[in-house]
Amino acid sequence: MDLNENRPVEKDELTGDKIISGHEYDNIKELDNRLPGWWIGLFVITIIFAVIYVFRYHIMHSAPLQENEYRNEMIAAAEKYKNTTTSATVDTATLIRLSDEASLATGKEVFTKNCVVCHLAGGQGIVGPNLTDEYWIHGCTFKDIHNTITVGVPEKGMISWKAQLNPLQIQQVASYVMSLKGTNPPNPKAPQGVKCE
Amino acid sequence: MENPTFYYDNKIVKSFAYATLFWGVIGMLVGLYAALQFIWPGLTFNIPYTTFGRIRPIHTNAVIFAFVGNGMFTGIYYSLQRLTKARMFNDVLSKVHFWGWQLIIVLAALSFAFGITTGKEYAELEWPIDILVALIWVVFGWNMLGTIIKRRTQHIYVAIWFYIATFVTVAILHIVNSIAIPVSLFKSYPIYAGVQDALVQWWYGHNAVAFFLTTPYLGLMYYFLPKAANRPVYSYKLSIIHFWALIFLYIWAGPHHLLYSSLPNWAQSLGVVFSIMLIAPSWGGMVNGLLTLRGAWDKVREDPVLKFMVVAVTAYGMSTFEGPMMSLKSVNAISHFTDWTVGHAHIGALGWNGFLTFGMLYWLIPVLFNTKIYSKKLANTHFWLGTLGIIMYAVPLYWGAITQALMWKEFTPEGMLRYPNFLETVTQIIPMYATRAIGGGLYITGVLFGVVNIIKTVKTGKFVGDEAASAPALVKAGGKAAGESTHRWLERKPVLFMILAVVVILIGGLIEIVPMYLIRSNIPTISSVGPYTPLELHGRDIYVREGCYTCHSQMIRPFRSETERYGEYSKAGEFVYDHPFQWGSKRNGPDLAREGVVTGRQYKPNSWHYQHMLNPQALNVQSIMPSFKWLISNKLDISTTARKVKVMQFLGVPYPEGYDKIANQDLIKQATEISENLKASGIQCDPDKEIIAVIAYLQRLGTDITRTGPAVSFPLSSNK
Repeated sequence: MDLNENRPVEKDELTGDKIISGHEYDNIKELDNRLPGWWIGLFVITIIFAVIYVFRYHIMHSAPLQENEYRNEMIAAAEKYKNTTTSATVDTATLIRLSDEASLATGKEVFTKNCVVCHLAGGQGIVGPNLTDEYWIHGCTFKDIHNTITVGVPEKGMISWKAQLNPLQIQQVASYVMSLKGTNPPNPKAPQGVKCE
Repeated sequence: MENPTFYYDNKIVKSFAYATLFWGVIGMLVGLYAALQFIWPGLTFNIPYTTFGRIRPIHTNAVIFAFVGNGMFTGIYYSLQRLTKARMFNDVLSKVHFWGWQLIIVLAALSFAFGITTGKEYAELEWPIDILVALIWVVFGWNMLGTIIKRRTQHIYVAIWFYIATFVTVAILHIVNSIAIPVSLFKSYPIYAGVQDALVQWWYGHNAVAFFLTTPYLGLMYYFLPKAANRPVYSYKLSIIHFWALIFLYIWAGPHHLLYSSLPNWAQSLGVVFSIMLIAPSWGGMVNGLLTLRGAWDKVREDPVLKFMVVAVTAYGMSTFEGPMMSLKSVNAISHFTDWTVGHAHIGALGWNGFLTFGMLYWLIPVLFNTKIYSKKLANTHFWLGTLGIIMYAVPLYWGAITQALMWKEFTPEGMLRYPNFLETVTQIIPMYATRAIGGGLYITGVLFGVVNIIKTVKTGKFVGDEAASAPALVKAGGKAAGESTHRWLERKPVLFMILAVVVILIGGLIEIVPMYLIRSNIPTISSVGPYTPLELHGRDIYVREGCYTCHSQMIRPFRSETERYGEYSKAGEFVYDHPFQWGSKRNGPDLAREGVVTGRQYKPNSWHYQHMLNPQALNVQSIMPSFKWLISNKLDISTTARKVKVMQFLGVPYPEGYDKIANQDLIKQATEISENLKASGIQCDPDKEIIAVIAYLQRLGTDITRTGPAVSFPLSSNK
């Protein structure tokens, strides 16, 4: 039992708050202040939030759990983009090689962002084949190249780009690749495939 | 009757204080080094010991366990003696604790540099060091509890409540999360796999933040802030409520690190709601700290000690609000895997822990040395450099994080990813990384000023190793007195108090972890998912060794923006053989969960992986990945294969009986296939090299659920 517990009420001189008698630890005293009202309010609100949250997601099922949320997102996207032309739906027969400077510049941009990681910046090849020489593995016509980019050769590491590039971008980058022929970048990869034209 | 005289042990306090400063400087410099690698990846000098994957654990462990750890012990060893009016229980235990802890730190740093790691964040230490940690931690607890029991005061003060909760909870977290079966002295596999491993790991990881970085420091705040301000604590009642609420609620919140992952929804929801309910209990500490300064704000303007403490407590309040906000799924969808988390962690580490440590040291060192601080001006400079450093560290990371997250999620009008190339989203925020490094540099500059100031202070003072004090012996007060509140009574019963704290912290952990093991529906099995081949297993261990998980996640979340980029979202059943799980928590590079899927968006051929490990910048000029060229020259150690297979079998991985004896045949067969495949691409690489195993592992990733037919069977058939 504390000897001090029956002493007269002591007040803090700066704030006038009541000091709890008998609470002294290495000269640290404690005040008898109540919990701040806003603090209790905050605590109660977060507890109510928690109850409602669990109730909605796991008892009423009125909010979607992640699998349903994903399904909803995919359904909404399918609806939103249903009329969009994608590379998969383009008729390759009508495609032509582009030669205007703006298209080739955009083609180069697409190439730099996506292709250099296997074919290097000059198209000289490292993992993927050299795109600047006369040798081609999967055909050298515009349609062949366009097709290789669109559907890929996955077993050899060339992925299909139709999900990442739109039809125009594929047309532009295929045109750009054709423009690389004969540019003689440094350290070219040895020829692969068959000589073309 | 004259009160007996006894002596406080100040020597041990001094030792811990010096260790705090020493490791603080080292830990932060390693952090700065890691930050600079984002700007200049060549700073690794192409050697294994300096890659981000190895120094990131050195940085995090040094700051958490060496800097904050020693800081915590400094404060506890000083305040506990004064608060109990007793010398530390046993000087030998104090010394064993001190030197044992420093030994652990040195072993930790060396082992991480050498790639000896469990691959579990903030718990990377391998099993022999884990055992040492447990032993030294018990020495600390024993010493502390012994001191409390032989105290000369009737009640234990709120600071000691927090110290007790820290001791018991960290012990439980560390032991449960570290249980593993050794393969060798330097390698073990955790007994948990996949989802279960993830849950246990983040139950640990989150509560390491709670009970290593928060509760002990709240205890220090409750002692040093009123001492430095010479003010009474604002509210005893608030102390009680926020203490018990905090330790009860904190333990549940771990799953908020795994939102939108393959963790079952019910566990995720518990993580969300308990994080939100934590706001008020956390703020209880901040409120009690800041309101203690009522009437003394004029002193705060004058005194660098109080300035540090006020910013520390404010940073605590900010990060304990930000944390719950990041635990909301809608926010987490953006913040997770980005630098937002890193910024958040540093508000806590630099602001709360760092500033409270320096505030404490600026008060404590002059007291220990019976002098005044050498230069108040220098301390103020430290304060302002530190504050500016924190802002310049965090703000650019928040900015960069949101920029990058929005880039990850942006679609073109045709419904395709606007930035399908992950690297583009990294290159975009490099200026933010540069600014962050400057912020960190400013903070460290401040710390160095602080070190100089403290050294000068020490030189001007006179240290008393054994400080005399006197107090009447404790007369046991016996049972609960009339009018005595229950909690007041409990404060006289430290052992009971400790037992109660254990019960309170066990509830949340048990309710979340136990069902994850007992209820099968939590992890639906997938019939086509099989164990790793021996070569892949070795590759996976190298992946862990190199710390790949520090930059690459293996967890595709169920968002269209992620499935469009990486492929089908990750399922719980895919990870049942992953000891340890490697989901990661930060994407400095792309997710690798479906890296091996040939028809996937991320697929790369074997030769690409070879070239990329050799020199990432040869393929991507702007890549910030370091070279791992030693994988190409290192020979794979296959002498451990049998033991690895046996440990995996023991853990329930269904390799056939006796497979350990023939596993290396399969390994060599698969390695030869990869070597030949590389040869066809013009790359000469012998099958016995480590790179072959890493490639095998990467090409296996994410492929099992796309398999038609049953899972891979052993021994491997030749027509793979």
